[in-house]
Parts: sequence; structure tokens; C-alpha cells
Amino acid sequence: MLRELTRGLGTTLRSMFERPVTVQYPEEKRPVRPRFRGRHVLKRYDNGLEKCIGCALCAAACPADAIFVEASENTDEKRFSPGERYASTYEINMLRCIYCGFCEDACPTEAIVLGDNYELSFTDRREAIYDKNMLLEPAPAEAQTTPQKTPSGVFTRSVPDMKDPQD
Amino acid sequence: MTKQVTLTIDGKQVTVPDGMLVVDAAKEAGIDIPVFCYHPKMEPVGMCRMCLVEIGRPVMDRTTGKPILDDKGEPKLQFLPKLETACTNPVSEGMVVYTQSEKAEAGQKSTIEFLLTSHPLDCPICDKGGECPLQNLTMAYGPGKSRFLFDEKMHLAKMVPLGELIYLDQERCIQCARCIRFQDEVAGDAVLGFDERGRSTQIVSLSDPGFDSVFSGNTTDICPVGALTTADFRFGARPWELSSSASICSQCPVGCNITFNTRREAMSDGKIVIKRVMPRQNEEVNEIWMCDKGRFAYHYAESEKRLSKPLIRKDGKLSRASWDAATQAAGEAIAKAKKDLVVLASGRLSNEDLFNLKSFADQVEGKAVLYTHMGGGDLVSLVGVGQGTNFGAMGAGTTIVVVASDLYEEAPVWYLRVKQAVQRGAALIVANPRETKLDRYASFVIRYSYGDEVRTVHDLTKKGKVGDAFAKAENAVILFGSDGLGLDGSTALATACARALNDTEHAGKPNNGLIGVWQRANDQGAWEIGFRPEENLVGALKGKTVYVVGADPAGDDPALVRALHGTEFVIAQDLFETETAKLADVVLPAQAYTEREGTFTSGERRVQRFYPAVPALDGTRPDFAITSQVARQASVILEGTSASVVFDILAEDIKSFAGLNYAKLAEVKPQRPIVGRGDLYYGGTTYENKFGLGVQLSSAADRSEKFTLPRVQKVEELRPKEKKLLAVPVTKLYDRGVTVESAKLLNQRIGEAFVALHPSAAEQLGVEAGERVKLSLDGVSEDVVVKIDETISTGVVLVPRSMGLPISAPAEASLKAAKKVSVRA
Amino acid sequence: MLMTHILLRHRDIPDINKLNVYKSNGGFEAFKKVVTKMKPGEVTDAVKASGLRGRGGAGFPTGVKWSFIDNKIWPHYVVANADESEPGTFKDREIMESNPFQFLEGVAIASYAVGANAAYVYLRGEFWQVAKFLDEKIAEMGEAGVLGENLFGTDYSLHIYTHLGAGAYICGEETAMLESIEGKRGTPRIRPPFPAVYGLYGKPTVVNNVETLTNLPMILANGADWYKNMGTPDSAGVKVFSLSGRVRKPGNYELPFGTTFRQLIYEHGGGVQEGRPVKAIMPAGASSSFIAADEKVLDTQMDYAAVRTLGADLGSASVIVIDDTVSMDWVINKTIHFFKHESCGKCTPCREGTYWMMHLIEDIRDGGHSTDNVDLLLNVAKQMQNKCLCPLGEFSTMAVVTGIERFAQDFTK
Repeated sequence: MLRELTRGLGTTLRSMFERPVTVQYPEEKRPVRPRFRGRHVLKRYDNGLEKCIGCALCAAACPADAIFVEASENTDEKRFSPGERYASTYEINMLRCIYCGFCEDACPTEAIVLGDNYELSFTDRREAIYDKNMLLEPAPAEAQTTPQKTPSGVFTRSVPDMKDPQD
Repeated sequence: MTKQVTLTIDGKQVTVPDGMLVVDAAKEAGIDIPVFCYHPKMEPVGMCRMCLVEIGRPVMDRTTGKPILDDKGEPKLQFLPKLETACTNPVSEGMVVYTQSEKAEAGQKSTIEFLLTSHPLDCPICDKGGECPLQNLTMAYGPGKSRFLFDEKMHLAKMVPLGELIYLDQERCIQCARCIRFQDEVAGDAVLGFDERGRSTQIVSLSDPGFDSVFSGNTTDICPVGALTTADFRFGARPWELSSSASICSQCPVGCNITFNTRREAMSDGKIVIKRVMPRQNEEVNEIWMCDKGRFAYHYAESEKRLSKPLIRKDGKLSRASWDAATQAAGEAIAKAKKDLVVLASGRLSNEDLFNLKSFADQVEGKAVLYTHMGGGDLVSLVGVGQGTNFGAMGAGTTIVVVASDLYEEAPVWYLRVKQAVQRGAALIVANPRETKLDRYASFVIRYSYGDEVRTVHDLTKKGKVGDAFAKAENAVILFGSDGLGLDGSTALATACARALNDTEHAGKPNNGLIGVWQRANDQGAWEIGFRPEENLVGALKGKTVYVVGADPAGDDPALVRALHGTEFVIAQDLFETETAKLADVVLPAQAYTEREGTFTSGERRVQRFYPAVPALDGTRPDFAITSQVARQASVILEGTSASVVFDILAEDIKSFAGLNYAKLAEVKPQRPIVGRGDLYYGGTTYENKFGLGVQLSSAADRSEKFTLPRVQKVEELRPKEKKLLAVPVTKLYDRGVTVESAKLLNQRIGEAFVALHPSAAEQLGVEAGERVKLSLDGVSEDVVVKIDETISTGVVLVPRSMGLPISAPAEASLKAAKKVSVRA
Repeated sequence: MLMTHILLRHRDIPDINKLNVYKSNGGFEAFKKVVTKMKPGEVTDAVKASGLRGRGGAGFPTGVKWSFIDNKIWPHYVVANADESEPGTFKDREIMESNPFQFLEGVAIASYAVGANAAYVYLRGEFWQVAKFLDEKIAEMGEAGVLGENLFGTDYSLHIYTHLGAGAYICGEETAMLESIEGKRGTPRIRPPFPAVYGLYGKPTVVNNVETLTNLPMILANGADWYKNMGTPDSAGVKVFSLSGRVRKPGNYELPFGTTFRQLIYEHGGGVQEGRPVKAIMPAGASSSFIAADEKVLDTQMDYAAVRTLGADLGSASVIVIDDTVSMDWVINKTIHFFKHESCGKCTPCREGTYWMMHLIEDIRDGGHSTDNVDLLLNVAKQMQNKCLCPLGEFSTMAVVTGIERFAQDFTK
């Protein structure tokens, strides 16, 4: 009986001196993996134009019906994305979202991606509706933000560099 | 009974009428043969090669005429080495068709692969995505991968306006020619064509202004890809995000069945709005088509100018009030007036609204006046087209008379139906004082002078080529309009038409009778319910308490402004703050028909239900409910909660509506061609009708009642007097009426107010087409554009209705050129 | 071997394109005989008996074609197909320029046989000078009383009109030609109904090639048997072979059917340039299947049946000779470009297929001779077969398929 006691207590004592796996969050933050699905980001091209073309395929793919998209027409005077169409309204209800990444998979232009941020708490339900301004990433340093004034005839295709895959 | 033929498709035996095409026979058997260029309402062309199937025909012994049998006792079949198109081959006895054999599937795969080599990867930005036949057929029949090098795809113009209403995307077009063939065969306006050849073949508009046809919107329904899209719905929403509600178009008396597609939008501050109007299938009314006016002019219901609060006049100014206060003020005024109540309503309202108004007027022994400038509806109740009338069934043996009406402008879908009846063999007599588009299909064109309407109709009953074509026909229908006529003129015309039909025994049976080409959607309903126009409206209003509903007399006629000032009390019930509302004592905000349910009676006397599409504007109430609440204040009890109950009461009260109720009106039956979600590659994106085909009313003649037709009243002042100009009213499809004006897209088509002159009159005045003149009419002077019409007489000028010029009946006018010469009347 | 020409008679009788010369050489005697002494049915029977087959490429028996015309619907029309846009074909031009009266007399005889009072000569747009020339000849015939009202004292009237196309090969296809004459876009109609029932303006119409029609006066003058005795049992009479390609003496050669390729190329055509061996023969212009040439092929008689045994069709007998200095991928590059340019665009396989083949052959020629591309080209061409609305699409694939299959070595550099 004593042996069993020592064995058990020994396990307990040993574990007292083992390295804890606890991460001291928020002072320490565990790095996320490459394919981590966190807060959504609407990406841009290097020239500053938005990748999102307002096609609403993400909204259609979303199993939780969390995304709401309205589309409008681009003009060269006021251009948001290459091609004819852009998303004038883009809202994601973060409370409905289940972070599955189907929207990311469905997007034909790789506009909506799920990024690394997971610190998304809020105190009012209304704050959970993220609109386009909250989701768009800022324009790259050398480029303008949208809307842009572009020369005519240059950005006529919705996916500018679409080419046959070479590999 | 047409000869029946039995054939076998994919092992299934099916018996169909002789002459049917294989693709249609397959549909009857429940087998889908994919098509792009074929459309069941047009002649087949066999262009797209999507419907390639294997067809085997029994080998016939030349001597016996019987099929040669093989050793199993089955007829020997001969298959061509090529695949054949199912859309161009009619069925034949003993035919065997394989639609899913290896060869046929290879054919279908190859056609899709070929089409996709040139079709751009536009699905994300294309409006058709989600209701696209190419998408659906690619998923069902296409190869999984494309072997075409993407970089070598053709690049063409992406957004070519074919006219401001329809956009063409040249890359998406699969050159099926459905749009061209629709315009040529169905619409009769051959304004589209192909340009270039081979891979560079493109659709172009052949007219100026571009795509000059009032049926242009239908091409976007039948286009199997997103090449033709409407400017109205561009990037509006995805089809799967839209809700649908069945409704009836409110723009003209045809009563096309439509579907409103709605969505809750952030752009509209979270309101549910109508995104587009689509046709709904009703083969007896509009088939699967609708005109552009109905398709694009629906925005008025959502205008920000809509009234949403009742108003009461206090100290000379209209100020907001509560519903209780407003209905009380109105009700008390009417209770005081009793017999001096005049209800002035128009055919814009539904049957239920009009019935409540009529009941109200009757119970206080007041008057129910129909606000219209076209008479004859009571005659239509007597000898109007009977139950079972269907333009689609008219052909050889039927004579259609169109008198004083430009159907293309006034009721476009009737123009289509009459044209098709003629192409099936019906005789058409077009009697009009000026040239209209229908003339080219007419067997007889009678060009009479303005003023000679009645005599022209009398001549129909006399012996002669024209008279015989009318009198001796098995079936005859007369459509009468108000081209160049006011109230008395149109009443006289209607009377003459009714007498002509009655005398030649063309009433009381299907496909016979009188049809009024009314100026508003539910005018026929108003007449049925008992509203009658007042010849001397000005006199009739003097000192009365006037309850104006769905009408704007003050906005139409300065004389009526004065008349309204001379009344005791004015209650205005409308959607907008009209001129009439501005001088009313009480203003009551009503709901648009898109926000509630009800029924309309079409010109063919078909009662059809419409359903709510969008939630009602806050603060508004349906017309019949308002009437009931006002009536209660005058101690008259009327149903005000349920439109269905109002209709039931109406059906008990009015003989022609006997036996009808909302359930009956909502009945549907299977229709051909099959349209709808699974079959949209076949019939187009017209919506299936699941909510009601409507029911036609019986006429007095149908019920074999005894009646006497009135005599034709002689009408003065219809003839141009010597040395004076007679201005006559004509109707244009697009005008500045309140239901059309708010459609910004139609602005160009609406154009400017004009006056049409005979070339010699223009010469005398020293003006040419396109120049401006000052037109003076009824005390109002306006600058208008000159148009030339060689087919009218010299003393007559044409003035369009609803373009800001106060014309409702023929009247004297004067024209003053901008420069030297002037003709004073 | 024929010493006296019966079609290219100008080579024996200079100035036969002048009315008086033509007349003094038996001109219009046949037409006069036909109109005054024969019934229309008898003319058709004579042509049937002569064994004359269509010279435009299909080789359909002419008399049989005429007998299909629907006698319940009137009026009837005759249309002469002078579109001649097939690459490698230039026989009709020589006939119309140099022996126009015999051609027009043939049109007249055909019209009488089918009961047409109006005939049209449809010329390709590039032949505007030929059309002008023919108009003059038609006017001369009118003055001479051979065309017009009440000919030769009978109640038969005939007017011939020329009509110009506007540069479309597809308008050589008979139904596209009829559409073009009617003023519409020249695209083929679906058949059935065939022109013999529903043709020009919806009326029964007979469409014949220029060369076919030019045979008729001689047949009616000398008798069906005379004609049948020339040529071979399968293919009666003579043919104008348009020889071109790598030969020393390209041109038109009128020879009886049964002449061998060897005779045509070496005895008449002067042999191959620089004495090189014949590698391939395209017997029907650009619409051909390639015949890989060997001794047996060269000794094959040229008639419709015999050439078919070589895996090709004689077609319009526009023989293009290819020697070993020419690579087949270069040849099919030319034919594919031609068909892509001329495709009318009505049906999907031809419109898209010719465009795709064009890109593929250009990729192959640019150095992408990968087997994948060549296999794909073969596959695409085969995919188009048996699916097109009209023969243009079908024929555009013949050279591609036979080129790759029979000359694989030219595609594996």
C-alpha cells in the first residue's frame, strides 16, 4: 500500500517541477500557424486597387449566411477595383461567422482571406457587423487608396493578370 | 384531332401530335435535351448544335409502305452517320432517339467545350450568374476541364450599350441569334442583326436610337448567357438573394403577369426594395413577354416623394395630423354632405378600392364618378369579350378590328398578340386617322379623318370587302381606343362598335366582343363596379364635397383647378402630393399596389390578383381600408381589414363577378412551354406562374341577358374648323405620367413634349422637324418640338397626352413659330 | 486523250467568246433544238442518260438532281454557282472568260429542263469584271433572240441575271448562296428542306456548277451516248482539272475521266519542279484529304470512285501537287487559316473549332511541336466532324486529320 502511495505522490511531486505548458497570454502570444483562420481581410493589389469585385460568391458559399454584399459599377473617374464591378457594400456579421474559410475558398480573386487576428471581442452586438472599411487592408505605401482615378482602357479586366497556369 | 405519332426516346415511348419537334417531344416525356439557340416560341435554326442526338428512322419497304423488320422482329433502323439536331427534326412514326448514348454525350461535351473556348471567365461579375443556362448546361453536360489555352481567348468589348436600356457584352455572346430572331419573328421590330462573320460575329443594333423596340427587355430573358443585360438591374443582386412576389403590371389594360424581385438593401437604408420586374407566364394574357414600360417603370412606388402622413388644412396651410383626426375630418365632411358627395376615382385603383368607394357613395346617395376621358366601359360589360377569349387561340376565321388606337404605344403586348393572330390567319382591319405600326399586318387599313370614327364603324356593317370581312367572320373582336378622342367622342365610338358587334351577332361567345384600350390598368374594373364618368365634370363638382382617390384633376386641367376651388370640401387620397392634394382640405396617404394585395380587371375582362412585394411605407394604409375608416366616421360600415373579404362582398354584389373569390383567382394549371428554374435554358428566365392565372368575367351577352344598346350620341367639335387648327390627343407609351417619370432610365425614350403637323402645315408655319414652336392650348402655352406626320390631315395637329400639355379631348389650338410666320387660330 | 476540247474550246477555236464565232461553230443549236423540239422531261432524261455528274465537288448525278424539283410549287429558278472560291480551283473563271456563250447556253438548257423562266449566275465578289463581261454577253444573246420573251417562236421565255457576292467562300454553299441572292447574310440554311423544294425566295430551285452547265450544249447536240462513252463507267465525260502546286506547268487541263494522276502531272503538267518526287496530292483543293503519293497512287485513274479508294474525294478536281520540299504542317497552316477566315460563324463547332485549330497550328509552327499539341489538334479536328451545320466545317478538318495521320513525321520535329 505504501508503494502505491509513493508512486502516486511521486507523480504529483514530479509534475510540480515539470515545465508548465501554460502560455502567459497576453504578455506572451502563441504564434499562429500559416493556415490559421482568423479575422477576415479584404486584400488589395500592389497598385492599390481592391481585389474584391463584388461577385457575392463568398456570401453564397458561407454556411452561416454571415456575409452581405452589394455591387456597383466602376468608372475610370472613380475606380475601386479592376474591371467593371466592385463591392460597394461588404459586411460580415462576425457573430454568425464560423471561421470555416469557405469564403476564402470561393473567392475568385483571392480578395477575402482569413488572417491572423483572433482578438475580436466586443461589448455591443452591433459592433460585430464589420463593414468594408473595417475589413479592407490599408493601401500599400507606394500606391493610392481607393477610389482612384485611372486612365481609360487600362483596367478593363476584372482579373488583370489572368493567364493559363504554366505549371 | 391532329394525327398522333409514337416514337421512342431513350427507351421511353411517347405519343405526341404530328409535326412536333423531337426536342419538344422529349420535354413531354420528361427528358431534357439541352438547347441554346432553340426557343419554343420561335422557329428553330439548328445553329448551336447543342441538341445533337442520334436519330434512327425505320427503313420502309418501298413497295409495301411498311417498315422492314430485322431478325428480332423489330423495325430496322437507319441512323445517319452524323448526329442530328433534335430542334430541327419533326417526329415521325417509329422514330428512335438516343439523347444520352456515347455519341450524343460526346456531341454535347464537344459543343460546350467549343463554346467555352471563347466565353470569358465572367461568372463572378456577370448578372446572369445563378440563372444562367450556360452555367447549368455546362455543369450537366460539359467536360470537366478545358483544353484551350486561356491566353488565346478572344478579347472584345465588355459593355456595349445597344441603346440605353440594354447592354451587350460581346465576349459572352454565344451567337445563338435568339435575340435577333425574337425581334424579327415575335416583336416584328427587326432592329438587331449580326455584323462580321466567323469568330468575329457580333450583335449590333440596326436602329437609331439604338435597340428601338418596346420589347427590348425580353431579349435579356431569352439570352442564354449574360451577353444581354438590362441597365436597370446591372449589378443589382444575385438571383439567389432575391425574393419573388407575383403581381400584375399596372401600366396599361393588358394586365401582364409579372414577378417583383425584392431584396433588403443596405444601399436603401435597410429597406426591402424592388430590384427588378420579370414577366410571369400566363399564356392567355402575355405569354412569357412584357413590354419595357412595365419592366423599367416601377420605381414610382419607391419614390421619396411618397406621402406618409395624413394632412389637414389648418389656417389655410396643410399640416400633419394623425390618422384618427384626418379620417374624422373627412368622414364628418361627408356625413354633412350626404347626397352632395362626389367620389372621383380613376382606374389606377384596384377592384376592392373601387368597390368600397362605390358602396360608400351609394349608401350616402352621393355620386361615384370615374375620372377618365374615355367612355364605353358600360358597353363592354354588355358585349365585351366573353369568357374563354384568348388572343392566342385566334386565327383563321377571326376578324380583329382595331379602331382609334395605336396598340404599339398603348398596349404593346396586345400589339404582339394581334400580330401573331394575323400570322395564324386572322383578318385584321386597322382603322386609324394616322399611320400606326400595326398597319403593316392589316388586311385592310382604313384611314379616316378625325371626326369620322362613328361613320367608319358603321361602314363595317355595310356590304363590301371590309364589311364582309367583319360581318361574315365566324368570330370578331373590336378593340376601340381614344386616339384623337375625348370622353364624348370615345363614348360615341364605343356605342357604334357595340352596335356593330351586336348587330352582326359577334357577342356572347368566346373570342367575340368589345375590348376597350383603356388609359389606365383597371378602368374596366371601375366600369364593372359602377363608376361612370361625368361629361360636365366642372359643373358636377360645383359646391360638392369631393373625395378624390387615385386621380389628379388639378394637375391635368386648369379648368378643373377652378372647379375644385369652387367645391365645398376636398379630400385627396393618393401616393403623392399632387396638385389636387395641394388644394385639398384633407390629404390621406395611400399604399402603392406593390405594398398590398388586391385585384385588377384587365381590358380583356380578366380579374387577376396581385400580391404584396414590399412592406408598406410606414404611415400609409391601403385605399380600401382608408375608405372604410372614413366611412365609419359617416356611419357607413364597410369591410376595411381584408382585401379578400371586400372581394367576396363585391362578388356577391356584382353579377359579372359572381362565383369568384381569391382562391379561384389563384388557381393555376400547367402551361406550355415549360418555363421556370429547372427549365430556364429552354424557355428563358420568365417566372413560372404559381400564384394565379385569373378568371375572365362573363358579359351580359354571355349570360344571355336582355339589354338594349343606347343610340350613338352625336358629338360636336370633332372636325377641324376652317382656318383653325384642331389639336387632338394621342397616347405615347413613354410619357411624363407619374408612374413613368421617376424611371430615370427611360428619360431619353420619354423625350420632349412635341406637336405633330402635316408637312404642308409645317411649311405654312415656316418650321421643320426638330425646331421649336409655341403651342397654346386651353389657356396654357408651352414650347414644344415639331414632328412631321404625313398621314394626318392638314388642319389637325397631334398633341401627346401626359406630357405637361393640358389635352384630354380635341380642342382648338394655336401655334406660333419661334421666328416670323405665325398661324393664329 | 482528247484532242478537241468540248469545254475549253477557246484553246482550239480562238475568239469563240465572240457571238458570231460561237454561232458559226454550232452555237445555240442545242438550245434551239431543246426549246422547239423537246419536252422538259426529255431533256432531263437525256442528261440522266449521259451520266453527267455535278462538277462543283459533290459529284451528284445532274439529271437526278433536276428530277427532284417540286412540280407543285412555282415558279422555278436555276442558279449557276460561279462562286469558285475553293483554293486551287480556277476552271470556272477560264470557262466564263473564254467560252461564255457555251456556259450561258448551258444555263438556258437547264432552265428549260426544269421550267425556269429566270436564271441567276452567282459570281464571287472578286469576279466583278467577269460579271460585267457576262452581262455584255447576255445582252448580245438577247439581241440575237436567244434570250428574252417567246424564244424561237414558242411561249418559253428566259432571262438570265448576274449577281455578285461580296467576298465569302461560304456563299459557294448552295443554300448560303440563295440567302445571299435574297439580300440576306450568306449563311447556310438547315436542310431539309432542300433547294429543290424550298430554294430561292422559297421556290424550287436547281443549283449547278458552271462547268456542269457548260457540258450541256455539247451533250444535247451530240447525244447522251456520245458523252457516256467518254470517261469511265463511274464518271462519264471530261473534266477540267485545275492543276497547281509544285508542278512546272500549272493550269487548267481538260481531260477525260480515267486519266491517271501520273498523266496529269507529268504529261500535261510538265512534272514536278526540279524533278522532285511527289509527296502528297490534294485532289479537291483545300477541302481535300491528303493522298500520300506512291507509284500505285500515281497510276490511279482520276474518277470519283477510284479516288475514293485512296481515302480521299476527287471533289472539284483541283489537284494540288506537294513535293518533299513542303512540310505538311505548313500546308495545313494555310488551309486552317483559310477556313477560319471563311467560317460564317453560324454553328458552334466550325466557328469555335476553326479558331481553336488556328491557334493550335500556330503554336505547333512556332516550335511547340509537342505531341500534346499535335494530339490536341487532331482531337479537335475529329471533334468537329459529323457535327457541323454545313460542309465547310466538315471539310476544314479533312486536311488536318489526314495530314497528321498520314504524315506524322512532319509533326514531330
